[in-house]
Amino acid sequence: MKTLTMAAALIATTALAGTAQADKLDDIIASGTLRCAVVLDFPPMGMRDENNNPIGFDVDYCNDLAAALGVKSEIVETPFPERIPALMSGRVDVGVASTSDTLERAKTVGFSIPYFAFEMAVTSNDASGIKSFDDMKGHTVGATAGTFEAIALEKQINEWGDGTFRPYQTQADVFLALSQGQIDATVSTSTVAQANVKTGNFPGISVVGKAPFDTDYVALFTNRDEYGLINYLNLFVNQQIRTGRYAELYEKWVGGELPALTVPNAYR
Amino acid sequence: MFGYTFQWNQALARLPKILDGAAVTMEVAVLSMLIGIALAIFLTLLRLSGSRPLGAIATTWVEVARNTPALFQIYMAHFGVASFGIHFSPFVSLLIGITFNNAGYLAENFRGALKAIPETQTRAGRSLGMSQGQAFRYIILPQMLRISFLPMTNQMVWAVLMTSLGVTVGMNTDLYGVTQDLNALTFRTFELFAIAAVIFYLITKIITLGARAIAWRLFRY
Repeated sequence: MKTLTMAAALIATTALAGTAQADKLDDIIASGTLRCAVVLDFPPMGMRDENNNPIGFDVDYCNDLAAALGVKSEIVETPFPERIPALMSGRVDVGVASTSDTLERAKTVGFSIPYFAFEMAVTSNDASGIKSFDDMKGHTVGATAGTFEAIALEKQINEWGDGTFRPYQTQADVFLALSQGQIDATVSTSTVAQANVKTGNFPGISVVGKAPFDTDYVALFTNRDEYGLINYLNLFVNQQIRTGRYAELYEKWVGGELPALTVPNAYR
Repeated sequence: MFGYTFQWNQALARLPKILDGAAVTMEVAVLSMLIGIALAIFLTLLRLSGSRPLGAIATTWVEVARNTPALFQIYMAHFGVASFGIHFSPFVSLLIGITFNNAGYLAENFRGALKAIPETQTRAGRSLGMSQGQAFRYIILPQMLRISFLPMTNQMVWAVLMTSLGVTVGMNTDLYGVTQDLNALTFRTFELFAIAAVIFYLITKIITLGARAIAWRLFRY
């Protein structure tokens, strides 16, 4: 009898300890909802349709992830600078927010393997006479604050020691400023550059060439210590590519040549 | 605590940059106040001039400055005027926006202060042989500035806090702009913004305490 009580107590303790140790992956499954941080002023990755519903590559990607987990998805609009507060305060579970996986940032959050890659393009105001990346030297240039290209461009301007860098809060403000001639050129992802030039909302600008920055790999992110979830995210990204869903979404939202997500001559 | 480990050394290593930002914030705030006070006195004179069109200009300024968001005013000073081909740097746009706001609020403060000064004082001055302008300059203006000194301090505090809106026009050298830049770089959001908040608090506290000390020295009877 005593042994039985002890055994029951032991099982109860283990079970309780088990639930207490439920990790984020368990929490998401248990809650039935996956909350994703998505940037919605960053077409074609995240934007809103005419009925104000969130759409875009990142939105579809979040929905796919939720479907894989067997839960509902909830898109939480998150501007670039608020990605970390949103995650840390528990408003979102995962960031599907075109976030560049820099080593500096990986000290704070946990990244999955890359799920998308951007090439960078230079767009200039026609009146500025800028025809290539190097022509930007000595000019006033801008980019969207908090993005990979903004960080890289500011660094480049500092290296040149000539010219001014201005970060604007949204992609739309950057292209407005460019169109107005407040800045002479910008570096953005080539998808964004093409999309904005095509809209015709910003007259007098054209895409003039590539920017020689490293390919901007972007990754899903969550809390640094949630290995269970990070492991799941890695497999999910891999499956998206394996099943052709990545190519399908790329064709749907971007179109053109599919960027490779592997780094040559590297293990991961 | 919520799955985030505070790494203060990572943020504190950037403190010199943040302090440089604080200096720029002070520069913008002080300049916007000095120019704002001058403009507010000018607006007050327009209102006192008795001319209807001049008074209307001043009233419109005050109405727009007080009844629209400062964010809108700063945004207009950058993107708005640019549609007419006028380009201001982020620094100048921010300065214009805050100055415009300051002038509007201060003009209204001055109006209140003027109401507290009996009109008989102007007449007394006139009867001593002063011109209208002299009476304003030597009798009314000093009292007006004294009565509205503490509201002016409030506006100075506002000016400091309003500099944080500069990021909307591409400002990245002020306290808030620098902090946001560093945040994008490191994702050390909580540490960096906590430091910025403390600095903002210290600046505004020094302003209010300093103003109180000045008032105590200047306005003793």
